[in-house]
Amino acid sequence: MSGPTIAGFDRDAVRAVLGRDLGAVRRSKAVMLPMLLVPLLLLVLLPLSIGLAAHGDALHVEDFLKLLPGRLASSVMTHPHQERLVILVLGYLVAPLFLIVPLMVSAVLAGDAFAGEKERKTLETILHLPVRDKDLYVAKLLGSFLPAVAVAWVGFAFYLVVSNAVCWSVMHRLFLPTWLWAIVIFWISPAVAAVGLGIMVRVSIRVSNTQEAQQLGGAVVLPLVILAVGQTTTLLLSGPLIALAVGAVVWAIAGWLNLRGAQAFTRDRMAARL
Amino acid sequence: MGAGERVIDCENLTRSFPSGIALDALTLDARPGEVIALLGPNGAGKTTTMRLLNGVLDPDSGRATVLGLDPWIQGEELRRRTGVLTENAGLDERFTALENLEFVGRLRGMGATETRRRGNELLERFGMSHRADVKVQGFSTGQRKRVALARALLHDPELLFLDEPTSGLDPAATRDVVDLIGSLAADRGRTVVLCTHFLGEAGKLAGRMAVLFRGVLHAFGTTADLAAQLWTGFEVRLDLGGTASRELLIRLGALPAIVQAVPTEIGALVRVGSRDDVPLVVATCVSAGATVFGVDPRDPDLEDVYFALEARAAAAGVPGAQDERGMAEGPAPDRTVDGPLVDAIGSISGDEP
Repeated sequence: MSGPTIAGFDRDAVRAVLGRDLGAVRRSKAVMLPMLLVPLLLLVLLPLSIGLAAHGDALHVEDFLKLLPGRLASSVMTHPHQERLVILVLGYLVAPLFLIVPLMVSAVLAGDAFAGEKERKTLETILHLPVRDKDLYVAKLLGSFLPAVAVAWVGFAFYLVVSNAVCWSVMHRLFLPTWLWAIVIFWISPAVAAVGLGIMVRVSIRVSNTQEAQQLGGAVVLPLVILAVGQTTTLLLSGPLIALAVGAVVWAIAGWLNLRGAQAFTRDRMAARL
Repeated sequence: MGAGERVIDCENLTRSFPSGIALDALTLDARPGEVIALLGPNGAGKTTTMRLLNGVLDPDSGRATVLGLDPWIQGEELRRRTGVLTENAGLDERFTALENLEFVGRLRGMGATETRRRGNELLERFGMSHRADVKVQGFSTGQRKRVALARALLHDPELLFLDEPTSGLDPAATRDVVDLIGSLAADRGRTVVLCTHFLGEAGKLAGRMAVLFRGVLHAFGTTADLAAQLWTGFEVRLDLGGTASRELLIRLGALPAIVQAVPTEIGALVRVGSRDDVPLVVATCVSAGATVFGVDPRDPDLEDVYFALEARAAAAGVPGAQDERGMAEGPAPDRTVDGPLVDAIGSISGDEP
């Protein structure tokens, strides 16, 4: 007899597997450290250092702006001289790095959740338990997706606080978030996390340990990171509609990848590769 | 499930992987309260059989019902009623022994209180209560195995699949586990499928044995049934204080009561039609001038049967039947099946033993 279901999923089974996976992540330094250090570096230390640098007179970004695409340069140039460094770096250039965080966290966790079970030799035990393939898959997916989004959003909250606080004496206003930032963080970054997840699930089913999963997954995810980094600044210069549309495309890709992952994630296939 | 019904009933179960056929047309059954042993070297198909019967792997062909359910359609329902001990204990090292049990209890729909109570009870039963709240990371192989056994028994399953349940255990724990398995079957009517390399353990626990080589079932039945298929008559070990002479073996071979006679290091191994023929064998030895220090009439045990089957499979060209022995009782004893033994007797007349 299955537990209570929501949308065809056994809620108790999903919660049991999810609770175990999240508990395991909390206890694993190898997983927790990269999950916390990278966001700390990108989302706290970087704005802190930029904010502090903006207080001095020595940094002038005008020469640098000449090297940037016209739209970005002109957008920054509309701001007063002393605000330009802050607007350029914290308003535009850090944004692409934000997409690295959910992508990286989801990839690390998915590798641990799927390939890690094989490596720890715990997968067979789970396959012999009365949990349906789809419940197991969804629990594993959530166990990677939710922390990735949580880290991105909490990191963003820190980023907002640190950026606005450190740059207050320069900006004299809350310059973040903007609507476009909000779209990137709340609409596009979860989609990017889901893409990373979809890739890592497919990879993890085929490999026998986390290291292989990270190596193989990295080979696929890295070009996406480069693509994301390259395009996000442009996205922030576009209107909200375009940003929303881009997010929808990323979600569609994520949906397709994860649907394919769900089809590939069968008990038989997992057991056959033990 | 009624006493006459079969807990496991499978027919022509076949499964292959890209590396080759793992199981080829397996047909076997198990009754309530019965222990059946799956025997064979590594790669024989024992674990694949277990996975197929618990609905974890799908077959390429064949059919099965387990506890009255179709494992591949009603897998979840079936797995609620089965308990599995995998070869690797499969415990998550990041959690304590009790937390490992609690996770499984939750997935089996047991309440938190019930899981803790039952988990603590079983950990105590296996001498692990003092480590219930310790992370599994530092556990020895034997300790892990005991926790994994507790996990397999947590929900009091009707059918148990146990893959090497005593490997890594010390002698006292081994005896305890063997007794427990025996009592689960005999006293509680639980059915057990035992995959093991330990022939002594299988011989003690299992009513029937399935002997597999390279995915093919070579024999299935009680030790006595299998022996009857392999040999005729009754085996007697003669202790003559040294290898029997060629003349004595010829005289023994000439007796109508003697089916076979082969030399051993301490005398001879003869096969007679029945126990009544033993005095005649002894008298023949004495009349031939041999000193008889001991006469040991014995039925073939599982070890004899297993290695005879292995030899027969190897003779039939089954790859891996002898080159991957890995069974725990050491090298094959000096026993062959009827055909080769008859040949051996035939050769005695011409060659020194």
